This record gives sequence, C-alpha cells and structure tokens, in this order.
Amino acid sequence: MVTEFGLRLAISLTQIGAVMCIVVVTVLILTLAERKVLGWMQDRMGPMEVGPYGILQPFADAIKLFFKEDIVPAGANKLIFTMAPILCLIPTFIGFAVIPWGPNWTFEINGISVKPFVISDINIGILYVLAFASLAAYGIILGGWASNSKYSLLGGLRSAAQVISYELNVGLAIVGVLILSGSLSLVTITDAQAGWIWNWHIFALPAPQIFAFVVYVISVVAETNRVPFDLPEAESELVAGFFTEYSGLRFAFFFLAEYANMVLVSCVASALFLGGWHAPYPGTLMELVGLSSWSWIESTMWFAVKTYSLLFLFFWLRATLPRLRYDQLMRFGWKVMLPIALANIVMTAIAVFISQQIN
Amino acid sequence: MRSTSSTKRLSLSEWFKTITFYEILVGMKATLSHLLNYRPVTLQYPHEKRTLPDNYRGMLALLRYDDGTEKCVGCDLCEAACPSRVIRVVSAEVPDEPTKRYSKEYYMDMTRCLFCGMCVDACPVDALGMTREFEWAVYDKRQLHLNKQQLLAIGDRSFPVREKRLELQHPNVAFFNVAFNHVPPKPN
Repeated sequence: MVTEFGLRLAISLTQIGAVMCIVVVTVLILTLAERKVLGWMQDRMGPMEVGPYGILQPFADAIKLFFKEDIVPAGANKLIFTMAPILCLIPTFIGFAVIPWGPNWTFEINGISVKPFVISDINIGILYVLAFASLAAYGIILGGWASNSKYSLLGGLRSAAQVISYELNVGLAIVGVLILSGSLSLVTITDAQAGWIWNWHIFALPAPQIFAFVVYVISVVAETNRVPFDLPEAESELVAGFFTEYSGLRFAFFFLAEYANMVLVSCVASALFLGGWHAPYPGTLMELVGLSSWSWIESTMWFAVKTYSLLFLFFWLRATLPRLRYDQLMRFGWKVMLPIALANIVMTAIAVFISQQIN
Repeated sequence: MRSTSSTKRLSLSEWFKTITFYEILVGMKATLSHLLNYRPVTLQYPHEKRTLPDNYRGMLALLRYDDGTEKCVGCDLCEAACPSRVIRVVSAEVPDEPTKRYSKEYYMDMTRCLFCGMCVDACPVDALGMTREFEWAVYDKRQLHLNKQQLLAIGDRSFPVREKRLELQHPNVAFFNVAFNHVPPKPN
C-alpha cells in the first residue's frame, strides 16, 4: 500500500534527480563551451585533445579533479574549510526547485496533483531564490577566511562587499516585474507573459522592463563573480582569490557552484524577463500540428534557448571586457545601477497605476 | 545636470554613448566578428608541424665523408668559438700517420648550447652541421651530454648525402691535414 506521503516523496525525488542531472550536465557542457567560445573569440581553438574536437574535455577535467590530492593548509580552520564549498554549492542547487522548466501542467496521480515541470511551485519563489543566492556568499567568505591565506581572505572580503552591493540591485531590478505580474511565484510570473513576444516583461506594456533587464544582467554578472566583475578571484592580483588554497574535489565544488549559479541566474532571468518557457508566438507549433501532448518539448526547448543565450552572453562579456578596478565596481553599483533600478520601480509603479485607472 | 569633480562635463553624444554602453558594444562586436569569422592561428603542434626555414639551426651533429671517415680533424676551433663552452675536444694523432690528427674524444653539453652556429662557422673542414631536429626534450638532463658516437649518429641520420673527401673534390679546393703519400696525384 503506497501512502500519500510516500508517493509525494517518490515524485519529488524523481523530479529533484532529473533537475540535478540536467543542471550538472549543463555545467559540464558550460565548462567546455566557455573554453571553446572564449578560444574562438580570441582566434584560438580551445581544448582539442580529449575526444574529437575536445568534446570529452569536461570528463577529463572531472576525473583529474577527483583524483587530485586534497590539501588542507596548515593553520586553516578545518571545519569551516570543509564546509565552505558545500555551503557554496547547496544554496545554488536549492534555487532550481522553483524554476519552471516547461508548461504549467498538472497531473493527477492517485489523487495527488503533480506539476511535472517545476519541483515546487511556492508562492514566494523569486524571494526564495534571492535568499539562497545570498547564502551562497557565506560559502565564499568563509572559504576565504578559513584558508589562513591573505589572498583567500582578500578575495573573500571583496566578494562580501561585491555580493552585498549587487544583490541589492538584483532585488530592486526584479521589483518592476513583480509589480507587472502581481506575484512572487515564478510560475505565475511566467504565465503572465504568455502570447506574443511583446508580452514578455522585457517589452511588456505598460512599463517595458528593458532597463531592469540590463541592470539585472549586469548585477548577476557581478553576483556570480564573473568577468568583468571577477575581483574576488582576480588571478593577476590574488592568485585565485577565495579558492587559492582549495584543491581536488573541494575546488571542483566551488567550480560547480559558480557555473550552477550562472545557470540559475540565467534561468531566473529568462523566467522573469524573457517569457520563460513561452515561445515568441502564442501557443506552440506542436499544438498546431495536433501533437499537443508533445508541446512540452517545444516549450522546454524555448526555455533552454533563452537560458543558453544568456549564458553565451556571460562568455561573450568575458571574452570582451577587462576587469574593473574595485572603486569603479563600487561606484558603478551604487551610483549607476541602484538609481536606475529605483527609477525603474517608480516608473513601473506609475505606469501600472495609470493603466489600471484607465481600464 | 551637475558633474562630479572626478568626471568632466560630457557632451550630449558622449553622454548618449555612455548610457548605451557604446564602447562595450563595439568591443563585443569585435569579439563576435572573430567568433563568426573563425580562423584560428593555432598550430596543433604534435599533430601538425610548421615548415622550418631553410637556415634553421637545430641540433648539432658531426659529419662524415662519403667513405665513412670522420671529417673532424681535432683542431679545437669549435671549442674556441663556442660562447657557451658547450664543446670539449680531445685531439690526438692518427697512429700510423704522424701528420694527420683526429678528435679522439668529442663532447657536447647540449644543456648549455644556444644554437648560435658559431662552431659550424668556425670549422675549417665543415665537420659540424646543424640538423633540423628540435624535439630533444628528455627526462634526464644527462642524456643531453652527448659524446662523439652520438653526435656522429645524429649526423648520419640527418645528412644521408655525404660529401666526397676534400682531396677528391674539385682540384682547386684547398685542403690540409692530409697524409700526402696516400693522395692520388692531382689531375692536370
């Protein structure tokens, strides 16, 4: 006799396993794609040795990191040193629980309603993502502090200041979207963008969120510690920043966390601003040809296309831009991004209010 | 619009370029054009090798004449010419022929060689040659301390076509260090 709790648990675990697999595979693809795209943009080839055109390079990297010696530096705080990579990795993976990958369908299995394309449709979804994204900063800071190394400590401190400054901008940039859709649930926000491409929140009337989108993208680049805001791991100044002393699997965890974080913020950006799994046209082509039960493939593909485009933007920025100076970073965050985000909130609120009065 | 003390007042077009990230977009266009017109400059080295120039100065080698005798006459000029003191020559008389000398031992410490080619220029009998070999990475540095047999072996595999003995070449070629009683008379 299957209890209701057991069934729910099994379904949830299946969904979690599937999402974890997708995310880890995406990270594997990203590590190769980043080196390839970066190489192509700089007239190089990228990895070419392992497998045809180097496509097996991520596996070679993973095996190498797995068998590397695990070094704990002398004088390091062992507990926190061990905890930090996990503390960095887990909040990032937890955030994927509320991302809607596909259509908002509901199945009934033995009287239990199941949403196959989102693990948990909680009504504060985006708040939950932001909260855990902030927790990931603890992993970086504690890792930097526990390493007993000046480079790590400086990297961790920089990361603290940077993540706090830019987390604020991320939070303020998405407020416009929340005003437009009137919900914090990512599923509801995505559903509010159904229809043509101009219903996406980046273009949506009465208040197009294009500035919010730009602020969001710039801020998440800073929040994920990517070039040109990679001051916490500035290799020309701080060896490798907060993970200078990390090796082997612990380094792999930090690496995985950074790339998973990139995937997460790209997913959130495509769900908030770019219509999530909605195609740029109403409905799906699969429904037009009478395969409406297979239309989820098209929807998830659209979601993947949007997410991967944003990830390509990360690589593109990395290939193009040099690192900012620290004061430039802070001035840009507080004096440019923050006022734009605040003004966007005010403009969006006024526009939405006026349109509600007119209707 | 007040300008801060650190930044000077911007003109309208400059201001517009700033707020639209114009410079960054120009840079991104440049990187994207390199991505789309993908022409890598990489040479996949172990799989494909560049063509070496004709005057490439690679590994040094000792040469032989076409009858298999060593060219080296043990004159020590290469040792004198070498700026890095790579070469050590132990010269000796040929036992039966007191007028003729040869190098009894010949050592090259290739860890110090800088491939300037001065020894090759200095050699009066062209006994030294520079091959086109350059893949001489070894695990043990002592393997780069070469003796005469090794240097002759390098010459044998790199210069399969050998010169005739000097006295058998063109009559006007100057030669020396030859026991004259064995030399055929010059054709007139």
